[in-house]
Amino acid sequence: MDKFKIFLFPFVSAVFGVLILMLAVFVLNSVSIFQREGLAIYTTNVWIASENPEEEYYGILAATYGTLYTSLIALIIVLPIAIGFSVFIVDFVPEKFKEAFIIPTDIMAGMPTILFGIWGVFYLVPAISGFADFMYKNFSFIPLFSYYNPTGFSYLAAGMLLSIMVLPFASSLIREAYRAVPEVYREAALSLGLTRFEVARILLGYIKPSILASTLLAFGRAVGETVAVSLVIGNAFNINPSLFAPGYTISSLLANQFGNAFVYEYMPSALFSAGLALFAIGLVVNVAGLIVLRRWTHV
Amino acid sequence: MYRRLKDDLFVLFAFASALLAILPIFHILFSVFYNGIPVLAKYGVEFLSGTLPPPNKAGGGVFPAIYGSLTMIVLSLMLGIPLGVFAGVFIAEYPSSSISKAARTVLVIILEFPTILVGLFVMAVMVIPMGRFSAIAGAFALTIVMLPYVATYTEQAIRSVPQHYKEVGFALGLNRFRIVFSITLRIAKKVFITGLLIGMAKVSGETAPLIFTAGNVWRSTGALNEPAGAIPLWIYYLVQQPYSNYHEIAWGAAVVLLAIFLVIFLSARLMVRS
Repeated sequence: MDKFKIFLFPFVSAVFGVLILMLAVFVLNSVSIFQREGLAIYTTNVWIASENPEEEYYGILAATYGTLYTSLIALIIVLPIAIGFSVFIVDFVPEKFKEAFIIPTDIMAGMPTILFGIWGVFYLVPAISGFADFMYKNFSFIPLFSYYNPTGFSYLAAGMLLSIMVLPFASSLIREAYRAVPEVYREAALSLGLTRFEVARILLGYIKPSILASTLLAFGRAVGETVAVSLVIGNAFNINPSLFAPGYTISSLLANQFGNAFVYEYMPSALFSAGLALFAIGLVVNVAGLIVLRRWTHV
Repeated sequence: MYRRLKDDLFVLFAFASALLAILPIFHILFSVFYNGIPVLAKYGVEFLSGTLPPPNKAGGGVFPAIYGSLTMIVLSLMLGIPLGVFAGVFIAEYPSSSISKAARTVLVIILEFPTILVGLFVMAVMVIPMGRFSAIAGAFALTIVMLPYVATYTEQAIRSVPQHYKEVGFALGLNRFRIVFSITLRIAKKVFITGLLIGMAKVSGETAPLIFTAGNVWRSTGALNEPAGAIPLWIYYLVQQPYSNYHEIAWGAAVVLLAIFLVIFLSARLMVRS
């Protein structure tokens, strides 16, 4: 090894150190709740915080449910828009104006997430509250609309906000893939006399893997988002099929409860195990996304 | 017949998607300016120099938040730049080493790590042993958030420079340290500085990693080993208060935060352009 490598080595090891130490802290701190409750911490929906450690009992199912539900809402909204938007930019916008549509989404991608949060509280939630009221009065027989929530803080608010936040990531991946489809395919399709719709459908067929990858990566983003979601989701231990019900996500549960958790014997451990679950979900989804992406770009 | 109709519907769909994608962005940017700028105008300079007023009392400002944000950003840059740059140099200079390959994967994992978990981690290893929240703990959490950006961009910057520049350095008898820092990074300084700016933009807007590390205060003594405020943290807590003047201050702080972000973002953008 040369001197330069020896000099740099501590810095690169610090990168490994951070990850290993982080995992160690989460695993070690989760041990006491696993010993006490076993897997019930993940499979039940209870939250009994008590001064008396004997009575304490925690289950984060509601938060896990909320995380998956809100991320799913976000994906259902964002996927068609991201595809349509990509087609729009590549097929319909002249070359010199493309940037004008891409820059706003780039700004969006890096913007402090708290700004989405404040907008969500003062614009999105009131709008949803009106919509929720209308849907409940007319369609409450459908489970999706069965919750009466005049405040608007809900899974739907969180899901819609997340859809706005992950759109830049989803659309940039799909757009670049769509743009990279060789021009000859397009020309061949057009020469057959196909309409723009038929051409786009064929070309989108070619980039299915990157649509899947961007879906997974957007899901990974949505799962980890904290402050914006915690401001609009209503923070309630709830497992409800209705879009308008308030709930929790794992990250908003952490943001809300961790501050005073150390008063209790087992709550910190319960929250560290929730963090572990969040980490696991995020890791699985992101790694799956990256594998799809890598395999596709290497072919 | 139907083909035409389908085609028209498809064009409609593409335009509608573009509208739905772009509209929220402009609505958010617009509403931050629309609600925030009148607040800045009304409070005047006091908004930047004052402290939080009592509920429903006019005046006041966000100085402790600006101070906290600045100190934590500067501290995290002081820690994160050497750490990230040297790690990035290692990965770029020894690309086939198994350490570098593993490090690249680890950086991606840290990058995608939910930032709230970074906050929990730093609380466990720093805040609890120290017995209190502090600006240092906040800065440490931000350093972890920034690390993958700085390291990855440093790596890309070095790899963008053609090999023969390095060979010239070797021919002159320079050591590897001089070659990387006096030749390679200087040639690739645009990519390199863009990376630093992106890392900085990222940490200046982060809220989640600060909740359990900086802890937030409305009045600060300025000491680094004591709890600190930050602009995003203030917005987070003020929005949850029922008082209308607190909401006003939150919007004002949002404009300040957006302005800081846009300045960094646009500088990064211009870097790439020129």
